[in-house]
Amino acid sequence: MEPPEIIRVSGLSKAYGPLQALQGVQFSVRRGEILAYLGPNGAGKTTTIKILSGLLRRDAGEVAICGADVARDPVFVKQRIGVVPDESNLYPELSCRRNLDYLGELYGLPRPRRQARATELLAQFDLTAKAAAPFGSLSRGMKRRLTIAAALMHDPQVFFLDEPTTGLDVPSSRALRALIRVINQQGTTVFLTTHNLQEAEALCRRVVILIKGRVVAQGTIGAIRERVSRVNLLTVTFSGEVSPEVLRRACPAVLAVTPQDNAWRLEVADPHAALGQLLAFSATAGLRLEGINSAGASLEDAFMEILQDNLTDPGTVS
Amino acid sequence: MIQVRRALAISRKDMESYYGKPPLITWGLLFPAVLMLSLYVKDPGTYLDIAPGIIAMTLLFGNTSMAAIVVTFEKRAGTFQRLLLAPLTSSTILLGKAASAAAYGLATSLVLTLGLGLLLGLRLHGLWCFALGLGAGALCFSLLGLMAAVLVREVFEAMTLMNFFRFPLLFVSGVFMPLAHLPWWLKPVALASPLTYVVELLRLGISGKSYFISPYTPILGLLLFLTGSWLIAGAIFRRRAAR
Repeated sequence: MEPPEIIRVSGLSKAYGPLQALQGVQFSVRRGEILAYLGPNGAGKTTTIKILSGLLRRDAGEVAICGADVARDPVFVKQRIGVVPDESNLYPELSCRRNLDYLGELYGLPRPRRQARATELLAQFDLTAKAAAPFGSLSRGMKRRLTIAAALMHDPQVFFLDEPTTGLDVPSSRALRALIRVINQQGTTVFLTTHNLQEAEALCRRVVILIKGRVVAQGTIGAIRERVSRVNLLTVTFSGEVSPEVLRRACPAVLAVTPQDNAWRLEVADPHAALGQLLAFSATAGLRLEGINSAGASLEDAFMEILQDNLTDPGTVS
Repeated sequence: MIQVRRALAISRKDMESYYGKPPLITWGLLFPAVLMLSLYVKDPGTYLDIAPGIIAMTLLFGNTSMAAIVVTFEKRAGTFQRLLLAPLTSSTILLGKAASAAAYGLATSLVLTLGLGLLLGLRLHGLWCFALGLGAGALCFSLLGLMAAVLVREVFEAMTLMNFFRFPLLFVSGVFMPLAHLPWWLKPVALASPLTYVVELLRLGISGKSYFISPYTPILGLLLFLTGSWLIAGAIFRRRAAR
């Protein structure tokens, strides 16, 4: 049996003056899952999070979180959710421990529970050595970690993460993704907005794609990828310089050529024909075919195709 | 009760973070103390007439500045959003912020009163009137400061907006000139100012005399202003706080 829905959104609409930020948005999130909410800049992702977390009033539609409507019972819903905004926004003059303690007070945790939880989170997020340091003195990665820890002080059932790894270096991003997995394994439902599609692919099973305020696709990552599965992808490496135009002319089975690190990423209609043409091309050009890999469409490929299908008008909103 | 405890947590944190900020010290304490001393040097015989007005002015500037600085600073830093995301009613946030600002204004006014007592021999004749004037005035002015802070984004914008009502209030509320000496056409305006009732309650507390025959008039006037400020600040806060 599937877990129950913990977030249910239907017909959600919001306009800023003449600009329609959200139009009839509909999706649900089941208890215990990590859902990625994807979209280009200005698609309406932050607007959705603001409405779901009670920061913004909606114009129309229904939003139920943990069985309650956030507009009608905001205190009940806010007690059960944790929100990490896209900017790390704790109190710069307070120490890391005092920041956690203060937020615990706002959520009504008794003092012994606050102290124990702060110690536990500082350890989990590798910030114990910085417990007495002011938040303002931390590095960007540490600030992000403490902001996430702060949103977990009250053990929320639903955790909203808005672009959690933006601006972080690779090790910090990886560490943060590992922490998100741990938080989810502890039973917390995660609602994640991100520009980083590899991140979504690594963390989530299901995605919702929002473009210009409308949900244009939703489902498992596998199902979304299948949208572009009619195209076969090959990654090839030659021993010397190759012009993409010459390559395309020599190989009619190749539909598109894009550079990828030191290799070429080819979209091909018929892999069998393409392979023969590539071998013939390399022999004629006096090159050696040093590597060839076939790859399925990534979430990024699917996202780009969906984006191109839907993005005709540039008017957007953040 | 749960929400009151959370409001107290907001107040404690604000006191920890913002008491001692230079603008609050200069506007809240240094300016009125220097003004009071200069008036005393000019005419030691009449300083008691002006003392209630200066203490009320300290309260007005200290409270409105504290409330405005805290909220605009937190809005800029993004930390104000933390309060909006927490399970708090808008009344809880308003009460927490107003209480910390009121505590600051009360503290500076009491320091000033104590200084006047120790240095110039000021004595209180009606402690309850004095305490009520300070307490209700502090809350009322804090709410005025919060209203201004919620309407704008920058500290200087909040200060500019507040100066539009703070300076005219000083002129019409009997701070420097007793109400009885105001021209007849300004007297109705004075009654529309909360500072008037604070000054008169403090005057009753310090000298036992007032423009009003009954002490209940300034008490009632101030309580009406306090209630009105709470309702208006709450409405503005609900409409504008998340912007």
